[in-house]
Amino acid sequence: MKNHNQTNRRDFLKTSASAALAASAMPYITAPLARADDEQRPIGEGTKSTADTIILLWMAGGMASTETFDPKHYEPFEVGLPVEKIYSTFPAIDTVVDNIKICEGLEHMAKVMDRGTLIRSHTVADLGDILHSRHQYHWHTGYVPPQTVAAPHLGAWMAKLLGPVNDAIPAFIDIGQRLEDVGEKEELKAFHTAGFLGGEFGPFVLPHPEQAVSAVQPPEGMTPKRFENRYKFYQRLIEQGAFGEVKGSEQRDSIIRSMDNAHRLLSSPAGKAFDLSLEPKEHFEKYNTGRFGRGCLLARRLAENGARFIEVTTEYVPFLHWDTHENGHETAKRMKQEIDRPIAQLILDLEERGMLDRTLVVIASEFSRDMIMEGGPGSDAKDQSRAKTDVLKEMKHYGMHRHFTQHGSVLLFGGGFKKGHLYGETAPERPCIATKDAIGVTDLHATLYSAMGIRPDVSLNIEKRPFYVTEDGKGVVREALFG
Amino acid sequence: MSVLSRFILASLLIAVIPARFAAAEDEPAHPPVSFAEHVQPILQNHCAKCHDNGKAKGGLSMKSRASLLEDGEAVIPGDASKSKLIALVTSNDPDEYMPPKGDRLSDKEVAILRMWIDQGVKWNEAGAAGVGGYIAPIKPRRPTLPANEFGVPNPIDRFLAVYFQKNNIKPAPIADDSTFIRRAYLDIIGLLPPVERTRSFIEDSDPLKREKLVRELLANDREYTEHWLSFWNDHLRNDYAGTGYIDGGRRQITAWLYESLYENKPFDQFARELVNPAPASGGFASGIKWRGRVNASQVRELQYSQNVAQVFLGINMKCASCHDSFIDDWSLSDAYGLAAIWSERELELHRCDKPMGEKAVPQFVFAEVGSIDATVERSQRLEQFANLLTHENNGRFTRTIVNRIWARMMGRGLVEPVDVMANEPWNEDVLDFLAVFLADNDYDLKRLIELIATSQAYQRQSIAVDQSLNKDGQFIFRGPAPKRLTAEQFVDAVWSITGTGPDKPNAGVSEAISKQWQPRADGEGPTVRSSMVVSSLLMRSLGRPNREQVITTRPNELTTLEALTLSNGDELTNMIQKGAEKYANDNDAHLGETLFLRMLSRQPTKDELPMVHAYLGENPGKDKIEDVLWSLLLLPEFQLVN
Repeated sequence: MKNHNQTNRRDFLKTSASAALAASAMPYITAPLARADDEQRPIGEGTKSTADTIILLWMAGGMASTETFDPKHYEPFEVGLPVEKIYSTFPAIDTVVDNIKICEGLEHMAKVMDRGTLIRSHTVADLGDILHSRHQYHWHTGYVPPQTVAAPHLGAWMAKLLGPVNDAIPAFIDIGQRLEDVGEKEELKAFHTAGFLGGEFGPFVLPHPEQAVSAVQPPEGMTPKRFENRYKFYQRLIEQGAFGEVKGSEQRDSIIRSMDNAHRLLSSPAGKAFDLSLEPKEHFEKYNTGRFGRGCLLARRLAENGARFIEVTTEYVPFLHWDTHENGHETAKRMKQEIDRPIAQLILDLEERGMLDRTLVVIASEFSRDMIMEGGPGSDAKDQSRAKTDVLKEMKHYGMHRHFTQHGSVLLFGGGFKKGHLYGETAPERPCIATKDAIGVTDLHATLYSAMGIRPDVSLNIEKRPFYVTEDGKGVVREALFG
Repeated sequence: MSVLSRFILASLLIAVIPARFAAAEDEPAHPPVSFAEHVQPILQNHCAKCHDNGKAKGGLSMKSRASLLEDGEAVIPGDASKSKLIALVTSNDPDEYMPPKGDRLSDKEVAILRMWIDQGVKWNEAGAAGVGGYIAPIKPRRPTLPANEFGVPNPIDRFLAVYFQKNNIKPAPIADDSTFIRRAYLDIIGLLPPVERTRSFIEDSDPLKREKLVRELLANDREYTEHWLSFWNDHLRNDYAGTGYIDGGRRQITAWLYESLYENKPFDQFARELVNPAPASGGFASGIKWRGRVNASQVRELQYSQNVAQVFLGINMKCASCHDSFIDDWSLSDAYGLAAIWSERELELHRCDKPMGEKAVPQFVFAEVGSIDATVERSQRLEQFANLLTHENNGRFTRTIVNRIWARMMGRGLVEPVDVMANEPWNEDVLDFLAVFLADNDYDLKRLIELIATSQAYQRQSIAVDQSLNKDGQFIFRGPAPKRLTAEQFVDAVWSITGTGPDKPNAGVSEAISKQWQPRADGEGPTVRSSMVVSSLLMRSLGRPNREQVITTRPNELTTLEALTLSNGDELTNMIQKGAEKYANDNDAHLGETLFLRMLSRQPTKDELPMVHAYLGENPGKDKIEDVLWSLLLLPEFQLVN
């Protein structure tokens, strides 16, 4: 795998659709990489630049820290138990790191905690109502909606500023989230986008990892030979066709160039990276806990082959998966079964391949949860539990059914971050707010950008004003997190 | 008495009153001075030579408002009597008076400058531009129509004949009939021309056939409506699904919009009904209500301010919604001034989300057009605003829409970007003429489109924008620029060619259309048009936007991700397969010609036909037809309106 450097980026711009041309598709972007007064500053100035690739493992729907990576006082289910006594519905287990305990159900991850940093003090905004779509938008773009221009996804910024590591693999790949036929799909689309950066930098969307290879192959049922013939015929029509008058128009050039890029990708051996059936069966099974697990395997294959930013999600579907409004305990148990082994395996695989040092694996969620409190202390947010009760009566009452914004767990493996490190603290009793080293989305993003060699105040001009990678360019890198 | 004559009277009065009395007046008895109309000509005539265009004699530069105010002495906003500029232009000391050469300023000119300074030194919209630069006028202007000496009766062509001659430009030749019919169909009703119509058009020897075609298309109310529906949905951020609809935080205006386009509602009335709406057209004005707290600059009242200013006036109020703009002269109070017109509650100004303890005062953006009475109740304010927006003296309103339509038809605006109307047009006469033409013709957008589409300018061969630059890199007009098919145009074309597509409109849309509306059955166009259904993956990837923001331009280029979707995506592949089946059953001996005529509105050339035949072979199977269909659909010639 090539290392990230400016030469790579230029190569990409030459061989693939260029950033400048894509920018001209949106007449309003006028923009070099920075404000007029610091146009010449390299985007990586003063950054850590410790990683080439990010794999973001997204715990969609609000993963409760106290059920996963921040165990608190545990009470087993018992009819008649007052809910205020319950902080965790799982007992804590030891990990390979002495001072880090996590929750039962994450036994595989417990064995790899010495490879990364666990942040327990990630806090997010209280936006009145605690809504998944707005918080997910905020987390993925760095900006709270609504915005006057369409804000780009983190991955789109990486694609725009860094390009792909290997130009046969799309720079920004999004695995596991369906954008059609699911609830709140329009809200999801609003941030699964390159926004004003232009479609060239948007996500290559692969909702079903096991079918990913079909996205980089000729249409189903078309032999490679026919696919090749079709393209040759197409090219001859362009070359010898009657259509000569507007030769050289930017639209025409963009069509020919992009069709060529697409054809190259669809007939490239790099397409094999998308094919999970090529993975040895035994190894495949280590990941095969569900769509998310297979997504982790696909992410590993794509990272190996040179993707820049890969997101794998447990998938946001209102009231499913991590979005527990009732039956929290049972659901969290199932979700942990789905994520535990594949994530641990991904870390080990990357390590074994010598890639963990320059690949950053991030695990995060839009907010945490609590059994009693919605939002945080003093919040007037509407209570969204569907299993309201003061004492446990039945199993569906047992779990974290309310949204909590004042703590949250984020894990950072590889990519130059400290190993076996615990960052931040949370109160042992309600309200379990972050009591030390609280870190919000803006600073967390600044830290991730810095790891990727991007200053937190890099901006592009849109409608003549600067739009920064972190909110208003104000993100502060948490140096203490780096190894 | 008009605002202007009151102003002149007031300024003459003040000219004879000692300055200290005038400055002492608390309440200005006169309307605000317009920088563009009154102040800039004075500075341009007397000062710009030494204090702008790269010069700053004596350290004073008028290249921007900021530079003028920089030394804190020359001009002190709000205090003309202390401003050195006034002292110098009125001085009698030959060693110091300004300007040192040329005419002295008249009393009236000095009075205007005093009022301007006392009123806070309002600059032009492009606050970064100097006094010698272009200032977009607000009032309409009726340019003198050049004589028809070049034998081109259309007024657009008469102006352009002068433009071509003056700038020594050789315009592109007139495009042939097949290019024209495809262009006119796609631009006016968004569909490919039917094969029979193409044939009859090409064979028709009537010298007026192009004009007749344009009128015929404009008379097709339904297809016109369902084409321009997408344009207006983008501008008015109207959609059939999306953020806000789920909990009543957003309302569709589809029924109103469909009907307004269908009956070709005069554009001034159209705008009035949007900014001062009845329930059916209220969705644009009321914006999107987000659940939970939002930044003060994004509350619905400020959405109103931003969206109305952008869509109807080509003004960007987004910066000024949060703080005084750094890129032009719009201020927080301007943005809140518009917001307060709409607001049902008292609005407090917030700078960067922090309350300032100051209440917003309803006000209109162009003082020279008129003002809003801040004391009246909301319904009256809105009515006053609607009248000012569409006032005959508000030339910005008409210029903005004619520029948008010109840009859609010609591939590039007279002013670019189309949302920055303070920028200089490449031909002021054409812009100003069209703006006045629209107002003179009852704001009839179809008449405007007809005038543009029947001009020679529109009928010329297309020229890429990047080949339309002079040696200084400035745009010169030689002919229309090619335009990429919109997602809807592309999908409609594919649906008609392959006989696929939905058979009924989206639920939200069917309520919008009359009971008489029937899906199309003649096979010449899609059964139901893509503008009438929610966006699909294919449409989205081809640039149909998420309409949370106002969208006024679509992406002009094909990206790699889009090309992938087109090369192997299920949606297109399935449609092509169905289409190929249909053509295979037809057993058409001239399939090559049929497809070229259907898709490109022309016969294949003598080079192309053998290529197609060779690929298809005798009795082509479905596969071969699929491949040819795909190749033609992906041709730049197909994907562009040339």
